[in-house]
Amino acid sequence: MKKRMKKITAIGMAVLMGMSVTACGAGDGAASQDTGETTGTPADSAVETTGNETETPADSDSDSGNKVITFWNTGTEGADKEMYELAINQFHEKSQSGYTIENIPTQNDKYKEKLVIAMSSGECPDMYSTWSGGPMNEYIDSGYAQPLDDLYEKYGLKERFMEGALEQASYNGQIYAVPVKNISIAGIYYNKDLFEQYNVSVPTTVSELEAACDTFLANGIIPFTLANGPKWTGSMYFQCLATRKGGIEPFQTAAAGDGSFEDECFVYAGKKIQEWVNKGYFPEGFNSMSSDDGQANAFFYTEEAAMYLTGSWATASFKTDSEDAGNDFYSKVGWFTFPAVDGSDADTSILCGTMGDQFISFNCTGDKLDVAFEFITYLSSDETIEHMVAAGQIPPIVGVDDMITDPVSKSIIDAANKASAVQLWYDQYLNPTVANAHLDGNQEVFGLTMTPEEANQKMQAAQAEYLSGK
Amino acid sequence: MNNQSNTLGWRRQRSTNIAAFIFLLPVFLLLTVFIFYPIVDSFAISTYRWNGITADRTFVGLSNWGKLVGDREFWFAFRNNIMIMVMSIIIQIPIGLAEATFIEFAGRKAAICKVLWFIPMLMSSVAIGFLFNYALAANGGMISAVSKLFGGGNIDLLGNKNTALVTVIFVIAWQFIPFYMVYCMAAYTNVSEDVYEAAVIDGATKSQYFRRIALPLLAPSLKSAAILSMVGSLKYFDLIYVMTGGGPGTATELMATYMYKNSFVQFNMGYGSAVAAGMFILITGLSLVTMRVINGKKEV
Repeated sequence: MKKRMKKITAIGMAVLMGMSVTACGAGDGAASQDTGETTGTPADSAVETTGNETETPADSDSDSGNKVITFWNTGTEGADKEMYELAINQFHEKSQSGYTIENIPTQNDKYKEKLVIAMSSGECPDMYSTWSGGPMNEYIDSGYAQPLDDLYEKYGLKERFMEGALEQASYNGQIYAVPVKNISIAGIYYNKDLFEQYNVSVPTTVSELEAACDTFLANGIIPFTLANGPKWTGSMYFQCLATRKGGIEPFQTAAAGDGSFEDECFVYAGKKIQEWVNKGYFPEGFNSMSSDDGQANAFFYTEEAAMYLTGSWATASFKTDSEDAGNDFYSKVGWFTFPAVDGSDADTSILCGTMGDQFISFNCTGDKLDVAFEFITYLSSDETIEHMVAAGQIPPIVGVDDMITDPVSKSIIDAANKASAVQLWYDQYLNPTVANAHLDGNQEVFGLTMTPEEANQKMQAAQAEYLSGK
Repeated sequence: MNNQSNTLGWRRQRSTNIAAFIFLLPVFLLLTVFIFYPIVDSFAISTYRWNGITADRTFVGLSNWGKLVGDREFWFAFRNNIMIMVMSIIIQIPIGLAEATFIEFAGRKAAICKVLWFIPMLMSSVAIGFLFNYALAANGGMISAVSKLFGGGNIDLLGNKNTALVTVIFVIAWQFIPFYMVYCMAAYTNVSEDVYEAAVIDGATKSQYFRRIALPLLAPSLKSAAILSMVGSLKYFDLIYVMTGGGPGTATELMATYMYKNSFVQFNMGYGSAVAAGMFILITGLSLVTMRVINGKKEV
């Protein structure tokens, strides 16, 4: 009898311990994300959503009738934070609506997951920023964003934003978001002093770029700084190389299901990356470095690295960091677009990146939506735009070219104006599962633990699976 | 007489039952809401294709489960979990036991060791993750600095597919050894002082006492420590999430991080739930088998 009891207790214990896995396992994930806004664990969050199956998320929100608009974004520091705060202050001073905006910034790399958890637990904020592309489509499909065409008309903002930017904010022919922040395109920042010192001129072809890298390498300078821990940083090399090799077509057709990610231009990109890694063009340990910690910027700032391929949001960071440090580093920074691939006839004006960087979508209806959109007018007011331009940002506003005097920003906006097309970041454009396959594979390509062909194959397999399940 | 005492006994039994019911109710309610219901719901969600945020979901039967069984990434993650489990048991418990034994034998003199060795346990996993990310950084990290001192180059432990998992295992060991130290110290207090004195009077040396007397007496505690470590390793999440995010590539992917990625990054809540439910089955099964093996001789 006693033995039997013991056995039962033992089995009970084992089951309990196992159980705590499903519950805690999921709970841990949420806990590390939450900073207090969302209280539900993902497991029980599922409950809430299923309970309200007939009610759309937006409805439940506007009924509550409170006068606070929660606004989630990634402006935790620097120019972004200033910009949002400036606009919010203007709104609070001038708006007659009686609403207040509650600004809740979250750090970049944690933001996406936090947003998903909030949505799945029915705690979606009234306004939130996204990077558009695949995830935005998921949010819209799930009813967490409202079409804004009428409000654009009402507040006369349609003509104010650049066409390309509104295009990236659209979904099925309707505008669902507001491009707020920055024309962010991939390009190479370089240290003009180092280029001069070693007699290197701005490269226009990949072979010239490689010659420049070899020169730097011979002189103990790291050619490219890169922190590939978060994976999307290295993805830019892949995107730029593939786009310069094959133009915009191969990716577009592959993403639509008509082409393949095993196309020659993607193999070329992966091979080039591995060639560069083998030659030592990147800092040691780049695959585990984090970009949020500024580990890539550090090499650029200390002039240990000559070039930095990244999105043009970096201009603002370089500027403020240089000002904060009280040095003249920023005056040494130059910018050029990714050079042409030798022997390829692909259009070299095509850019990779986004015309807005951050796109604000709205999860509220009626008055609240109207007021929330009114806030956007302050976010794109002359005062805010001037502040953004001064901070080194290029908001996607018509006529912003004339306001820009900063030489780095000038070369970026020139490239953007000349571009025949802007390819949204691969990892944003693609379905999240495919994007993840790309990011994982590409990191391994960088780490030389996977061949480019294998990585592309995995990406294609993920795409095929996504399309088959659609 | 007999009847009356029976009634009294019955009454006492009944009041005990009521008390037990009242005391168990809150726990039971909490368990139901936070443990049982989510588990059942996980299994339910695993039969849907659902992105996790939309209101409508598509019933797909067991197709998620079919995918799970043939999913090489999941089994690779499971293999990583097993690696962590085995290494944790091999590294953490013996070192914890050694530390506890030292403190036990050294007595008051070792109080400082007790405090110092316990410190890692006081830090949160996220803090430990960041700490070691910096300590192990290829540029300017401790390991690289030491390697440079001896004329070597920078060493990138976390960015290398072949070393990342082992490195994380050592950090996990660093974090949890103090737990097993305390665990073993508590087990030592259960060993009666008389036993020790008797052994000493019989002329046993300290090493003889440890091997022949203390160790057998500690064995039951060590067994449950092993099972604790096992379950903990199989559902491990936080340090990996902070330190490598499952990378480079998928080199340090664990079942829990895989589940997390599917559920919250890739909008695949249905499949993520299947992974969670699969973890539940695997871990429960493994625990039962292990308990059976460990306790087998006595029970049968």
